[in-house]
Amino acid sequence: MTRVPAGESQGQLLERPVHAAEVPWTIVVWNDPVNLMSYVSWVFRRHFGVDAPTAEHLMMQVHSEGRATLAEGNREHMERHAEAMHEYGLWATVERAPR
Amino acid sequence: MKITVPTGDDAQPGVASIVIVEPEEARILVSLADQLQALLAEALESPIDDDSAVRRLLPDAYRHEPELADEWRRLSRRGLVDRKIGFARTLSRALAPVANDDLSHSVSISTDAALDWVRGIGDLRLVIADRMGIIVDGDEGTFGEPGLRDVYEWLAWMQDGLVQVIEASEPPTRSEAGS
Repeated sequence: MTRVPAGESQGQLLERPVHAAEVPWTIVVWNDPVNLMSYVSWVFRRHFGVDAPTAEHLMMQVHSEGRATLAEGNREHMERHAEAMHEYGLWATVERAPR
Repeated sequence: MKITVPTGDDAQPGVASIVIVEPEEARILVSLADQLQALLAEALESPIDDDSAVRRLLPDAYRHEPELADEWRRLSRRGLVDRKIGFARTLSRALAPVANDDLSHSVSISTDAALDWVRGIGDLRLVIADRMGIIVDGDEGTFGEPGLRDVYEWLAWMQDGLVQVIEASEPPTRSEAGS
């Protein structure tokens, strides 16, 4: 649960407390020195159902920037992705989507 | 070892690949897969992960929310460990008869078994990398017995070959998570 900081809520009609379930979450895959680039790409294609160029782009992002966001949605759904990534041996974490 | 995809007259329903394995290769794989199963079983009993290989096999799902990380661990860890033990067990069981023989065998594996192999082999590589001290991209690995690096690279070759087998037996893209 997040809330409007004290003292800032008055007069801001558009602000309202946001229920935790409404806050979007993301699944982030991190670079590691072990898994092969071709393997990471294949996992992205197979699990997330993305096409080959998209998988390649995301894999390169992981490789060069150290991380990539693979999906966004509710927390439970992102946790299922995390579990699947860990099954494949990829290092993945769930994060709040940037707001 | 040779990883083949049966075609034409050799094709059999449910067989995604025939892997030709030498006894010595089977013995290495069975030994590693058995050690991995033991390591994972121990991890279930241990309240803290003091082994860096275990932390890499079973990483926290949250970096900045310790309470959510604990909750996730409580709910998911046992199932995840059981499945990972299952992947390693698929390898041991398929290869034990070869390890106990003095002739090479042709081992037939289904797509599901190939998936277990791919993931079990990936876990073996994570543990070996940890033992060799591979921390960042490009590390050669400073520690471990001689020959471990060769095993590490051989496992990568095997994993890659099996991924190609799975790709050949499945439609090009498919989402498991329904996203």
